[in-house]
Formats: sequence, C-alpha cells, structure tokens
Amino acid sequence: MRKTLFLSSAIAIVLLSAIPAGAQTSTSTEEGLSSANQALLARIEKLEAELVALRASVQQSAQTASAAKATAQSAVKTVSTVQKLAKVGAAGAYSGAPSDAKWHLAGYADVGFVGGDMPGPDSFVTGKFNPGFHFQYKDLLIFESELEFSTTSDGETTTELEYSQFDIPINDYVTLVAGKYLSPIGQFQERLHPSWINRIQGAPAGFGHDGVQPTSDTGVQLRGTVPVGNTRFTYAVALGNGPQTTFEGGVKLEGVSKDNNSNKSLGGRIGFFALPYLELGGSYLTGKVSGYAPPVGHEETPVTLAADVPVGSSAQDQARYTLWGMDAAYTKGALAARFEYLNSHRGAFFSPTADDPAGVFLPRLGMKAWYGQVSYRMSNVGSSDFIHNLEPVVRYGQFRITGHDVLREENAQDRFNLGLNYWLAPTIVTKAGLEWRDFRVAGVPSETLYQFQIAYGF
Amino acid sequence: MKTMKNNRIWIGTTLVVAMLAAAPLAVAGSDDNKNKASKPDPMQVVRGAKAWKNNCGRCHNLRSPKELTDEEWDVSVTHMRVRANLLPLEAEDIKAFLKASN
Ligand code: HEC
Repeated sequence: MRKTLFLSSAIAIVLLSAIPAGAQTSTSTEEGLSSANQALLARIEKLEAELVALRASVQQSAQTASAAKATAQSAVKTVSTVQKLAKVGAAGAYSGAPSDAKWHLAGYADVGFVGGDMPGPDSFVTGKFNPGFHFQYKDLLIFESELEFSTTSDGETTTELEYSQFDIPINDYVTLVAGKYLSPIGQFQERLHPSWINRIQGAPAGFGHDGVQPTSDTGVQLRGTVPVGNTRFTYAVALGNGPQTTFEGGVKLEGVSKDNNSNKSLGGRIGFFALPYLELGGSYLTGKVSGYAPPVGHEETPVTLAADVPVGSSAQDQARYTLWGMDAAYTKGALAARFEYLNSHRGAFFSPTADDPAGVFLPRLGMKAWYGQVSYRMSNVGSSDFIHNLEPVVRYGQFRITGHDVLREENAQDRFNLGLNYWLAPTIVTKAGLEWRDFRVAGVPSETLYQFQIAYGF
Repeated sequence: MKTMKNNRIWIGTTLVVAMLAAAPLAVAGSDDNKNKASKPDPMQVVRGAKAWKNNCGRCHNLRSPKELTDEEWDVSVTHMRVRANLLPLEAEDIKAFLKASN
C-alpha cells in the first residue's frame, strides 16, 4: 500500500510538473492559435450581426432615400471586411490545381498509469497507438482505416484492424459505407472512444469490449442527413454480418470477416437536432445468433456455459438478438453533457459443441447499460491560463446482466468516475481521475482505482 | 433454407442497387473538382465559419485551422463529413473557411 502511495505521488508530481511546462510552451504556440481562432470567431459573429442589420436596413430602404444610402455604405463596408477576412492567410490556399488523389495520416496515442484497490499490482500502462489513414480520390470516394497497436500484460504486441471502410457519397443526402466500420449504434463507439476525445481514461461500463454496445461490424451502411427547416435528422442504416456467440456463451459484437450464419443483422441510428448543440438519438439492431464457432484453425471445444433446460423448452439452435437504445448530447461552448442507454436481449437456444451435437442450453441473456457524463472546460473562469485549460468531469453509469452468472460477476457493476483534465492543446490532454467500481454481486469486492493518462490526437 | 435464399436475394439486390447508384457519381465527381480551382467566395468563407462553429466542436474540441494544410483539410473534412453526417455543401463551406484561415 505504501508503495502504491509512493508511486502515485511520484506520478502526480511528474504530471503536475509537466503541466506548467506545457502551459508555458502553449502560451506561445497554442494560446496564439486559440486566440486567433477566437478573434476569427468574434469577427464572424460581428459580421453576422452586421448582415442582420443590413437586411433590416434593406427593408427600410424602400421607404426612405437616406436609408438606402446608409444601406449602400454599410454594404460596401461589409463586403470589404469580408474580402479582407477571406484574404487572411489565404495566400497559397488555392495555388495550383488540386491533385486528384490526396491522403492524410492521423490517429492517436495514449500512455497511462493505473493503481488502487484492485486485483493485481499498480502499473504503468503502455496504452495504445492507433494510426489512421485516409485516402481520397477526387470527390468520388474516401477510404479510411485505423489500426490499433497495444501491448498485452505479458509483453506481446497486438494489432487490430479497428475499421477499414470505403465511404462513397451517392448524393447530398446519402453516403454508402462498405467494409468494417465502427458501429453506428449509440454515440460512444463511433464518436467518443478515441482517448483524445474521451474525457475519462476508459469507456463507461458496458460500452467497451464485452459490453452491450457493439464495437464494429462488417457490411454496408447508408447514412446521411435530412434538413427539415432549422432542424435536421441524421440517419445510419447498416446491414452487417452481425452478432455471434462467444466462447463463454456471451454475445460478440465485433466485425468479423466471415459470417457464421446466413442471417444478416439490420440496425442503425436516427439522430435529431432540435438545435445545433442538442442532439437526441435512437438506435436499433436485430439479427440472429448461432452457436459458438471456433476460429478457423482452432479445433477447441467451446465451453459455452450450459444451464439446465427448462421443462417444455422449445429453444432452437439459433436465437434472435435485439438491441435498442437512446442517447442525448448537449454540447454548448465549455459545457458537454452526454447520456446513453442501451438494452439488449438474446433468446434461449442450444449451442452445439464437439462433444454434444445436440448442443448445450444457453438461457435468455439480457444486458443493459447506461451512463451520464458532464464535463466543463473552465475557459471562462478567472484570468489564469492554467485555470482556462482545466476541465473537471464526472460520469456515472450502470451495467446489468441477467442469464449468465460468469459474465455478470465479471462485468455487471455501478461505475462512478471523477476526473480533472488539463488541456495542453485542443487535442492533447492529461487526465487524472478516480474510478469506483461496485460489482453488486455478493462476494465480489468493489474496486477503487486512480488513473492517469496522457493522450494525443494527431 | 427458404429464408436463407430470400435473404440472399434481398442482400444481393441491395448491393447491386447501391453500386448502380454510385456509378453516375464518377462523372459528377470529376466535374465538381474542376470548378474548385477558382478563388474562394467571401460569403462561402463566412458560411463555412458558421458551419465550423456549429458542427466541428460537437464531438471533440475545435482544432485550429492552422493545424493542417489545405490538402489535409480536404481529406479530413470529407472524413468528418461522413462521420458527422454533414451536407456536402456545408463540408465545402467549412473547407473554404479552413483553407482561408490556415
Ligand atoms: C460526430 C462526431 C464528430 C464531429 C461532429 C466532428 N468530428 Fe472530427 N473526429 C471525430 C472522431 C471520432 C475522430 C477520430 C477519428 C478516428 O480516430 O477514427 C475525429 C477526428 C478528426 C480529425 C483528425 C484527423 C481525422 O480526419 O481523423 C480532425 C482534423 C477533425 N476530426 C476535424 C473535424 C472537423 C473540421 C469537423 C467539422 C466539419 C469535425 N471534426 C466534426 C468525430 C467528429
């Protein structure tokens, strides 16, 4: 315990001492950038206001000649200001014809430290390195892919293809996506999971691997937006290989390159923007799952946890899986509040094994999870740059599982996070936080973790 | 067995329709590109600034226009157009703004 304390204070000191250094460098570079941004925004807002005033005066101008003159003068002024704005840094912007094929290398990386009352020792975590590649050919299509490199606890490097997809715009309202894509169900996977975007070190309970939220799928998606007056709807409809059964008898919600049943999953999400900064969403996914299929080349026998077959059971060798969910995001200025809820069920069925062709009985499995998160960037508090870069965050969530005792004991929990982030740049953040996990199963002790992380999105 | 067949026909048709729908785009796409080499329209820059402010800070912090080159913004904004479900016109306006401010 003393070692833990020592280690954590050492890390806290290192982090704290890194901050002022970062703050100093950022005063010259980053501060300059964001004040340029702010100046630009302020200017644009001023211009917008002028345009509104201009419109009003145009209406009046029909009545009085002097008003017409004023309108003309202000129009000249507005146009010249706008032209000046367009010139800011525009030199070279349009020099030369654009090339047909363009590309961009992006991605993110993080490293961290986790300690506290949990099974296993405190440790530095290597984190992840996720390079992302985007290749665009004219306006015809873009290919995007992201790899994830990480190191396992025994020192092996793992590589995963996070996604690899073609995006083909069909018309103003429809884009076709084909390949392995991040699941459009809910918000966390598709939008918030990269560590430079995520306000907390890890995912909310139930929103990572082995959770309720699908991480990815392989298939096709149609997606886009439909403006309706001042509001807009967004949609994503996906037809994919769909969920499968895991070794332990759970549901695997990751994109695979070969389906194990002919039934494709159909799902997606509809979003509604009442205001540009307020989004409400609803998601749905349905498909059938078959028994556990060992990966090619592994003839292992599945240990899907069998249960007693209820009397009169009419379970088949496939079961229906359905998921529905709701989400909301309010992101105005310094404040971001998010909420997501997902609820899924898989029916009871027999999963065949090598020993038992009739299959072991897997009872109905229910999983649901939700979280709410609020973060506040203190950019308007006080006059110190140090304070402006701070961002407190709080998140609370629950993950519940019924019908599978082992999965429930390992994963079901209430999770509460408190964190304080320091932004060195818009995409570089140091995060310090506390996480409480209450497993809510008799005999499984709760955990208190303290976590540090540095993440950079590039 | 029957559902399997139905399923296949259905998926097959969807894929063929999607591919055919994408075909005319090849032509439209190349035309679009030609018109773009001209100077930025100041009003487009203003519209772009507004669309940038409204859309680009929803999931992550706004990045400074100076972070990327023109060509990188072209690719990245197309990437974000798909991720954030933006209209192509909005994406064009945002690109014009970012390129005029980097
Ligand atoms: C729907 C959420 C969302 C919105 C809205 C959004 N982004 Fe992103 N953005 C992301 C995610 C998620 C990533 C990380 C991509 C990854 O790692 O796969 C990202 C990455 C980026 C990157 C890094 C390079 C890249 O292309 O991956 C840039 C630059 C960027 N966004 C700019 C923008 C701009 C400009 C806008 C406004 C047009 C915007 N973003 C709107 C979610 C969003």
